Amino acid sequence: MRGRKQLKPLLRKALGIGFGVFLLLLWQLIAVAIGKSFILPKPVEVLGHIIENENELFMVHLPATMQVVAVGGLLAVILGFLLATAMDWDHRLEKALYPLLTVTQTIPTICIAPVFVLWFGYTVKMRIIVVVLVNFFSVTVNVFDGFRATSAGRMELMQTYGAGRLQQFLLLRLPTALPSFFTALRIAVPWSVVGATVAEWLGAPDGLGTYSRSCMMNLDAAGLLAPLLILTGCALILNGLLKWIEKRVITWQGEA
Amino acid sequence: MLEFQNVSFTYPGAEAPIMENLSFSVEAGSFVSIIGASGSGKSTLFRLLNSLEELQEGTITVNGRDIRSLSHYTSYMPQQDLLFPWRTVEKNVMLPMQVQKVPKEERKRVAAQMLAKVGLTDWANSYPRELSGGMRQRVSFARTLCAGSDLLLLDEPFSALDSITRISLQEWLREQWESLDKTILFITHDVEEAIFLSEKILVLTGSPVTGLKEFTVPLPGKRTREMLLQGEIQQLKETLVELLRSEAAE
Repeated sequence: MRGRKQLKPLLRKALGIGFGVFLLLLWQLIAVAIGKSFILPKPVEVLGHIIENENELFMVHLPATMQVVAVGGLLAVILGFLLATAMDWDHRLEKALYPLLTVTQTIPTICIAPVFVLWFGYTVKMRIIVVVLVNFFSVTVNVFDGFRATSAGRMELMQTYGAGRLQQFLLLRLPTALPSFFTALRIAVPWSVVGATVAEWLGAPDGLGTYSRSCMMNLDAAGLLAPLLILTGCALILNGLLKWIEKRVITWQGEA
Repeated sequence: MLEFQNVSFTYPGAEAPIMENLSFSVEAGSFVSIIGASGSGKSTLFRLLNSLEELQEGTITVNGRDIRSLSHYTSYMPQQDLLFPWRTVEKNVMLPMQVQKVPKEERKRVAAQMLAKVGLTDWANSYPRELSGGMRQRVSFARTLCAGSDLLLLDEPFSALDSITRISLQEWLREQWESLDKTILFITHDVEEAIFLSEKILVLTGSPVTGLKEFTVPLPGKRTREMLLQGEIQQLKETLVELLRSEAAE
């Protein structure tokens, strides 16, 4: 029984990897069938491009993008968490802020981002703001919903113990919201990468988005796709890391 | 110990009051069960007593003091165990003391005592998910004791358990009460459970509730389940069932 239990996750992983390999093979076959690498390069050509330009890609552009992803993502998580906490603490704030937050999400990032270029120029600050804008809403909503999932029975029990609002928050509402907080983090990782790349496409001296854009200008499709492959890999690694941490922190997942 | 004086209460938005001019008292150190038909207001009594609902009319006093001037004056055990899944058994038991800012060493000492009392010392570092339903209720009881009040309010704590666990926990609770210097107010809808556990049974009557009919259980302190078969007890059981049935029909 134990052996079978251990086999299941392994089988799931093998299936995931197998599907990834299948997609790469499919891509290779379609690219061979098209036969024009400026339209669709083969995965081996993209890989070759990465190896050929590894120094530039990994030492210059990847750190620039990751810096924006890390700072922007972190700020979005902090801002989203604080907003969710404020709305949970005071329902008048929820009524005032929630519609405004929704409005910020109705404007496509690609349309609002040029405004930040006008205000801040092609700076790191501009790119970080784009990442924060892309992310903070989902963090806020997830964490807020997490607070709201607190059982009314447990809240009343805390009241009978004489717990004040801060104690109720720290001892009950915050731990209840932790699983939702991790969900927010896992959503934030890929969206931070997307946000940073979009901002770099608008104009930046370095970063994988900038590299990708310059390759597009030269009709170098392999160079255009190489950064995307690297970014996908980075997002997958970061998400895997978060899942690993979550599994160790949230041991009560799914329990009432 | 506990006194309700002319308490009236209507839930916000409800047309009719759920209780009107209700008065009764509970002596210190007694084990009293409250029974009543579904929706008769049993849980409302506890909600008012725990200040989870605002008192509209009348007064409730504990040890002669109005509850509006008191804080954490009851130890409440809800129907579901409501253990915190992210805390170990020991930390769950320590929760009320943590809220009351008892020093950590003292918390650990008292929690160890309570866990020994409920026979779960070896499970101190386990998580609630590792325990059976009966064990979880015992942890919940230990946590209730740690709330530190002499007035224990137990709201149908065994209703979600299977009958075998339920019977063994009833016997266990009776033993616990004998060794504790506490007043227990126990809500149940099970007449036999009320008879086995308590010295006195209060039945909620009327809609709205205007009074409680009081019955003394003619059983000794040390009691066994076989005693429930005595003619006098059977007669009490029938009287109570008949009363509940007529209340439910009204």
